Amino acid sequence: MLGDSSKAQEVFHTTLRDAALRAAEGSLPNERFWLFRDARWRCLEASKADLQAEPLEIKEHEMTPEALSQIKQLEPTQLAIWISGAPDPQRSALALFYLDEFDYREILKLTELKISELSRLLAGGRRQFQAWLDDILPKKPVV
Amino acid sequence: MKTVRLSRRQRALANCAPISEERISDRSMRSTVFRARSSNEFANQQSFDRAVAALVRTIPIPPEIADWFSSRDFVSPSKWTWKRMARNPAVLAVGIALAVIAGVFLLHFLDHLHDFPGSETARKLLTIAGSTRSVLLDPVSADAGTLADLFFLKHRLEHYDVPAEFADFQTIGCRVFDDDEAQRIAQIWVTEKRMQFFLFPAERDAKTGAALQFSGWRYVHQEGWVGAVTEHNGVCFMAALRGHEKDLAPYIPKAKQ
Repeated sequence: MLGDSSKAQEVFHTTLRDAALRAAEGSLPNERFWLFRDARWRCLEASKADLQAEPLEIKEHEMTPEALSQIKQLEPTQLAIWISGAPDPQRSALALFYLDEFDYREILKLTELKISELSRLLAGGRRQFQAWLDDILPKKPVV
Repeated sequence: MKTVRLSRRQRALANCAPISEERISDRSMRSTVFRARSSNEFANQQSFDRAVAALVRTIPIPPEIADWFSSRDFVSPSKWTWKRMARNPAVLAVGIALAVIAGVFLLHFLDHLHDFPGSETARKLLTIAGSTRSVLLDPVSADAGTLADLFFLKHRLEHYDVPAEFADFQTIGCRVFDDDEAQRIAQIWVTEKRMQFFLFPAERDAKTGAALQFSGWRYVHQEGWVGAVTEHNGVCFMAALRGHEKDLAPYIPKAKQ
C-alpha cells in the first residue's frame, strides 16, 4: 500500500497500538475486518503527504501468456512499488486482491466498492501492469 | 482462441475470480468460474494472477512485523451462524423438502390413527354408498334383522347378521355383490334417515387366515359419509349415512363404542 517498509512499519505499529488501547477500553468494534479497514485508512492518510503523480493516460496492454516469464524476472519490491503507485481505490483493490487472503465480497466490504467497480479496477490494473512489464522487460516466448 | 459468452455480471465476477479456488465462497462466483474456465482469456488471467500473487508472497516483511504473526492466517474464518446457514439456498431447499415430507407423513399418520382391521374396505364401501341409487337394489320391505336368513339361503353367506341395534329398521331394498377384491358384500338400504348397511368379510391375517377382530364400534369417514363398523364372527357390519358422527351416534350404544 505504501511502497516504503519504514512507513508501513509505522502504520502497522500505530494501528496495533490503537487496537490495544481500544481493547483495554473494551471498545473493539464488532466487525470482522475493522483492523484491516483501519490500517487501510491509515495507509491512505500516510501517503497523502507524499508526492502525488500527475494524472496521466496510463498505457494498457492485453495480458499475454509471455507475462509469466516477465513476472518471474521482477523483484518483489518492484511489484510493491508499482502497486503502491496506483491511485486509490485501485491501489487498495490490487493490494487486497493479490494478498490472496480475502474473497471478493470481503474486498468489497473493505474497500466499500461495488462489484462492477472492483472488476473494472482489477481488469484495468492487470492491463496496466502488463503494459508496464512490456516496457521494462523483454518478452520471452513461451515454449 | 477459445472464448465463452458471459453475461455482464458474470464478466464482472470473472474479473474478480479468486486466485485460489478455496476462496470461492458463493454459488454465483462458483458457476462463473466453472463457465469461464474453458476460455483462454480466463486461463491467461488466472495464470497471471497466480504469478503476481506468488511474487507478492515474496515481498520481504520486516522481522519486527513478521514476529507479530504466529501463523499464515491473517483473517479469522467467518463465524458459522444458524441464520447464515438457513439463508443457504441448498439448506433452504432441503428444509422445505423435509417439511413437506414430514407434513405428508403426519397427514398419513393422522389419517390412519383410528384405523382398524377392515377400515380400508369400509372406506371403499362408503364411496359405493354415495353413488348407489335405490333402483340398483332388489326391493325388499322387511325388518333388517330378518335379511340374515335371505343372505344365507340365497347367497350362502354365513353370519351376515344385522346387529340388534339396527335389526328393527325397515328396509327398502338389498343386494349382494363382489367388490374389487372378490369379497362378497351385502348392502341393505333402510328407511331410517336413508341409512345404508353393509356386511362384509373381516380382514384376515395374511399368515394364519384368521379373522382380525376388534371390539366395539369404530367410525370411518369418506367423502361426506360416516360409517360405524363392528365385527362379529368374522363378518363386519357397517351402518352408513351422509352426515357427521353425531348423526350416527344416537344409534350406537355408548357403552360399546
